[in-house]
Amino acid sequence: MSQAEAEAFEEYCLANPEFAKQVEFEQRLKLGLAQVARGPTAEFVRSNQPVRWKIAAAAAVLLGLSAAFYAFHGNPAGSRPLLAAVSGDAQQAGSTMRLALVRGAETSPVLQGGLVRVEIVGLFDTGIHYSVTLDRLQPKKAIDTLATLYGQHPSSPMTLEVLIDSDQLEAATYSLRVRKQSSDEEALDFNFVKY
Amino acid sequence: MDFVPGGELSRRIRAGDVSAEGELIRQFEPGLRVLLRRRTGGDHALLQDLVQDTLLVVIQRLRGAGIDDPQKLAAFAAQTARNLAIASLRKAERQRTDIDSDLTDRNPDPAQGVEERAADLEAALAVRALLRELPQPRDRLMLKRFYLDDHDKDFICKEMDLSEAAFNQALSRARRRFRQILEERGFSKRDLLSLGL
Repeated sequence: MSQAEAEAFEEYCLANPEFAKQVEFEQRLKLGLAQVARGPTAEFVRSNQPVRWKIAAAAAVLLGLSAAFYAFHGNPAGSRPLLAAVSGDAQQAGSTMRLALVRGAETSPVLQGGLVRVEIVGLFDTGIHYSVTLDRLQPKKAIDTLATLYGQHPSSPMTLEVLIDSDQLEAATYSLRVRKQSSDEEALDFNFVKY
Repeated sequence: MDFVPGGELSRRIRAGDVSAEGELIRQFEPGLRVLLRRRTGGDHALLQDLVQDTLLVVIQRLRGAGIDDPQKLAAFAAQTARNLAIASLRKAERQRTDIDSDLTDRNPDPAQGVEERAADLEAALAVRALLRELPQPRDRLMLKRFYLDDHDKDFICKEMDLSEAAFNQALSRARRRFRQILEERGFSKRDLLSLGL
């Protein structure tokens, strides 16, 4: 702006007080922004570095996922479900426990350690879904339900199989309760112990 | 505020109309502040003094001999302000003495610049309030680019993928709100009070 233009501008400001006020507010705004930018406040950090905030958010998410991944894979014993369906031959290895309703039996089957394949013997309808519930039985206490599997299919008309991670169970008496889903038929209870 | 032509103001002041003097002050004070701010280097106290001195000179002149062309009252007031600013600079030059700058730095006068600091603080507080209210981080960034980085509108629009209309709207909204915040804090009243009205 030349000297003459600057003077014309100044005289315009004098003749137009509202315009002059707006100019002054602009000056104040600029001054205030400079003050804030110099200070320790984070206003411009937020606005000036949106990418950094995105990176920080992404890092937080990544950290959370890493923690979750470690929880599931870094500690295999803790990650395995207590009660699981049997799928494929890979789970043939390990110990097996057979459960059957035997009239007059005085002893209960014993659950070994590790991952145990449990064969529940009975008469099953292969076209029906069954639910299998693992309960802990404690004297003079309410039944403590630990896990339930739904939608289980018998592997044969005589056998329904599930997997139990015995290492997650403390020494106690347990029951596997098998019930036909969508049916009011009485459930079958198969007891066993873990030492 | 209704604008009163210079000729009419001159006539009424010459006739002894005190309310016309008040109108002249309200009308010229904002423009004088803009004009003198550039010439006082951020010295708020000097700025206030020069605004008052200018208004006094103009009113006394109108009460007495008057001016040659009353229609050019704004130009007369502007030239008076420029002359007073130059005189103030010359006076400061004459009064300047050699100082021990190291000693001055070590012992700053806490009273000096209080008004400037207050004005800075007030502006900073208002800006913080404004920034808190801005809904989009983009708006904060836009203000910074425009006012602090001195980027022009076209550059900012291109950089931030903004349309010109969106830019104008956001800037206008921010200006309006900033002014509102400052006025709520009594900015305008305080400036008038400082003129002794």
